[in-house]
Amino acid sequence: MFNAQEEKGGLKEVETIIGPSVKVKGNFHGQGNIVIEGILEGSLKTQSSLHIGDKAKVTANVEAKGATISGEVVGNIKIKGYLDVGPTAKITGDIEASSLSIARGAILNGKCAMSPGEGVSKEIK
Amino acid sequence: MHFALTVMHVYIYDSFLSHKKYDNTLARIETRLTDLGLNGKISRLGVMKNMQSAVENELKTGAKTITAVGNDNTVSQVINAMVKLTKERYPKIIPLGIIPVGDNNFIADNLGIAEEESACDILSARRIEKLDLGQVNDNFFLTNASITSVGTTIEMEKTYSIEIMDMGEVNVVNLRTTDKDSPANAKFNPQDGILELFIRTKTKKGFLKLTSQETGESIFSLKKLNILNSKNYSIILDGYLEVRTPAQISVIKQKLSAIVGKDRNF
Repeated sequence: MFNAQEEKGGLKEVETIIGPSVKVKGNFHGQGNIVIEGILEGSLKTQSSLHIGDKAKVTANVEAKGATISGEVVGNIKIKGYLDVGPTAKITGDIEASSLSIARGAILNGKCAMSPGEGVSKEIK
Repeated sequence: MHFALTVMHVYIYDSFLSHKKYDNTLARIETRLTDLGLNGKISRLGVMKNMQSAVENELKTGAKTITAVGNDNTVSQVINAMVKLTKERYPKIIPLGIIPVGDNNFIADNLGIAEEESACDILSARRIEKLDLGQVNDNFFLTNASITSVGTTIEMEKTYSIEIMDMGEVNVVNLRTTDKDSPANAKFNPQDGILELFIRTKTKKGFLKLTSQETGESIFSLKKLNILNSKNYSIILDGYLEVRTPAQISVIKQKLSAIVGKDRNF
């Protein structure tokens, strides 16, 4: 695993970074933390955390343990733990998480469901 | 240096060391090796003797250690010859030693091996580590395989593909050698059975795309990938060996035994 000494997307240990200028097509399934700053089309799964940056474009169904989303996602999002939707996020699809915060300015077109899971959300921005 | 009856230690001198300017350095190294009781056979590469035949001769005679004396290029060539020959004809894996001389010794540096005479002390300590090697078709690399991003597509085990939309370089890294092939703040482990795919791109920004450049970095951990290039660019292994595309790159876990220093970078 790639050990970045400085944090990337708030994640200390990052297995995968999909940078700007890079487009991934297909079923991307990982074990470790993932940071997306580029384009992903297909499906995305990880057993760890996910960070989707403000310039990222993801057209995929997404599953992760935890996630922070600041970019564009077209697809359904299923998060076991905490989902943090930032002010620049634009989501077209249903979201499911066990704890959730949505910042002012975020765009969400889809259903929102809370699932019993690891964390409990207290934060309302 | 004298020849022992049973040659245990073999030193392969790269051809560039025949230049006069290295005479003193080599004399000092040979004296130090004799002092440490590590004297052995010297095999000098040149027009009449290539790496493959030099290494094969020494494997035949039952060398205990083969030491590459030279730079990264020398080390990489010795590794390729050793691995190919041990796979095909001489199954006993013997350790690789390195005595770095001259410029471009990033491999030795990352394995914690100091230059010239100091490297002899590391050989004497005989701290052996098993290292992964990358394989591209029938060739091997210890550090990295690189190719330009222009026209390059990467496919991962038929599950997904990667397209690169800007100019840049693609590096598949096993042992990190310089900042060029991987992020400066990253640590890679050449013993974990995993290769890191590192892509660095430069995007031109601003009016007429002339004003500034933005660097993008991507990284993927993997065991196997295919590289295709629509413009017929080649993959360069360890900075010197060209391999044509399409090519499959994979990792062979702990294939190489190498004598390393305690200050190694992993």
